[in-house]
Amino acid sequence: MKKKSLWQTLTGSREMSLVAVLIVLLIVITILSPSFLSPTNISQIFRNNALTLLMAIGMLCVMLTAGIDISITSTLAFAGMTIGMLQKYDVIHNTFLLFLIGTGIGIVCGLLNGVIIAKAKVAPIICTMGFMYIWRGMAYVVSGNAWASGADVAGFSDFGKEGSPGPYIILIVAYVIFFIVMKWTRFGRKIYAVGSNAEAARISGINVDRTVISVYTIMGLLAGLAGVLSVSIYASAQPNMQYAKEMDVIAACVIGGVSMNGGRGSVAGTFLGALIIAIIAKALPLVGIDAIAQNLVKGIIILAVVILNVITQRMMDHQNLVRREM
Amino acid sequence: MAGKSGREISAVPEGGLKEKLLTWEGALILIFVAVNILGVIISPVYNATNVLREMPKYLAEAFMVFGMGYILVLGDIDISVGSIVCLSATMACFAGNAGLPFGVVVLVCVLTGLCCGMFNGLIATKFTELPTMIVTLGTQIVFRGIAEVSLGSGGSISMQNTEGLSLIAKKIGPFPISFFVLLIFAIVFITLLSKTTFGRKLYAIGSNQTAAKYAGINVQGSRFFCFSLLGFLSGVSALFLLSTLYGANTTTGNGFEMEVIAMCVFGGIATTGGKGNLIGGFIAAFIIFCLKIALGQRNINTQLILVIIGLMLIVSVVIPGLGSYFGAKKKSTTK
Repeated sequence: MKKKSLWQTLTGSREMSLVAVLIVLLIVITILSPSFLSPTNISQIFRNNALTLLMAIGMLCVMLTAGIDISITSTLAFAGMTIGMLQKYDVIHNTFLLFLIGTGIGIVCGLLNGVIIAKAKVAPIICTMGFMYIWRGMAYVVSGNAWASGADVAGFSDFGKEGSPGPYIILIVAYVIFFIVMKWTRFGRKIYAVGSNAEAARISGINVDRTVISVYTIMGLLAGLAGVLSVSIYASAQPNMQYAKEMDVIAACVIGGVSMNGGRGSVAGTFLGALIIAIIAKALPLVGIDAIAQNLVKGIIILAVVILNVITQRMMDHQNLVRREM
Repeated sequence: MAGKSGREISAVPEGGLKEKLLTWEGALILIFVAVNILGVIISPVYNATNVLREMPKYLAEAFMVFGMGYILVLGDIDISVGSIVCLSATMACFAGNAGLPFGVVVLVCVLTGLCCGMFNGLIATKFTELPTMIVTLGTQIVFRGIAEVSLGSGGSISMQNTEGLSLIAKKIGPFPISFFVLLIFAIVFITLLSKTTFGRKLYAIGSNQTAAKYAGINVQGSRFFCFSLLGFLSGVSALFLLSTLYGANTTTGNGFEMEVIAMCVFGGIATTGGKGNLIGGFIAAFIIFCLKIALGQRNINTQLILVIIGLMLIVSVVIPGLGSYFGAKKKSTTK
């Protein structure tokens, strides 16, 4: 077999091309601003984007089954607000218990999504849109027009405060687990199978409904966990926290090569996608672009990436056709 | 059958009032009445005068229902409309503050929307491999980004010359002008979708794009037109929004896209394409407005409305599913 050229390896695998983009990006930023790659800066990038990074794994699973979940930041707000209020009114102050409650709320939210999507055959975007309203509204109801301040969540916020290893540990554990699950376990392969061809998966004996339900439950779990983490990292809980940020998570997945039609995408790609958005957001002020323009640049990058992807795919298909004709 | 209500409640005999009431639109009218009765019960000041006074605040959003309905019938989706409203309103404010006559301001507002819509349409039709959700996710961020950059560090702008705006905020009798404009738009777009060949073609594309293409329908042209139309309607929306807000900021129109999609879906238009009609979406919009006004008057935690809208949305899409689920079970047991 002919050995692949460097160019082919780069364009052939989504992860490799993302790594290449990341390296080029880092080189350019380091030339413009040599202090960018300092350990404090890097740890800040991960801490500030911990929520997106965490939820991106769940979104990967959901999108692999050709679904989408836009209720995640509302789940996050509901879980976060609940544990914020539990502390404000001095009900529970045990960090571990709070994590358990927040994640539990997330699991219930996700399970509801999954059951309705799998059993009632509702389009994922519509079902999760409904719950997007419901959980966001519930976050407001739970808050009772109040919010949990830094003083309320003191002690608990030690877990996620600057310099604490908490958020990093959660991120690392989550990514390691999902990297293994998606690549080497039966469950992970089932998700890919359902996303590639649900009918074929059903015929080959996979319980499609159960897979879909578990995927949304995982998403809910991670969103709940992100809610708890958010309260801990930012030392406050407001009902409008992370409003409309679900699009960032979806964008990270899309840049990371996850296909909206299901069946295509990887944990590594998702991680790189989220990281690239995070690094660009962090680097813009350093290279002299106003923070105001951040969203504009982010949007242009998303559009450019997805369009470039289509163009390279078309070129590859064309080349394959040409080769076959020879 | 294309064009019929997206949701069938049950098998009912042809003809008669019973059939009319048991369509989804009939059910929506009943819900509309119920919401108004609820409003009267929970709020002592819920009456026609007050509702009409508060209506303009919400009416602006309803314009987008028509365009979004077209897009959903095609089987596409557009989540950038909130950002288009923001950008159009911002540009209109800039034009107004530059001393341009009001006619030009209107034109700027509507044309900005149209351009945004055409941009969406261009990408969606040139790169058909991309799901429109992704395309409009990107443009959503870009459009709002442009508005943010042009608004600068302050993040907000207010219209200094409000003469023109107060003109369109006027009322004819008890009804605001925007209500009449909305009505005209409703008649035009509902007829266009349900009574013309163009509308039929949209249903054909939504039901089966490939088949529609081989039947000689200009699929990409129609999609481009619908995206442009939605952009244009977002511009109109922005104009009427300005007439109640007299200004714009970076959060103007935040979340509109989801509310408009929710109205369409609640009105019986399926996101999978080819099903539903605009009348449902139009009634659904008014159900949500009245609910908002009623709860707002009672000073009920205004955010509770989110829970109610969400619940209505989910219940409305789950019920038909449940019906067919139990129906299938019944059939299999009687066999």
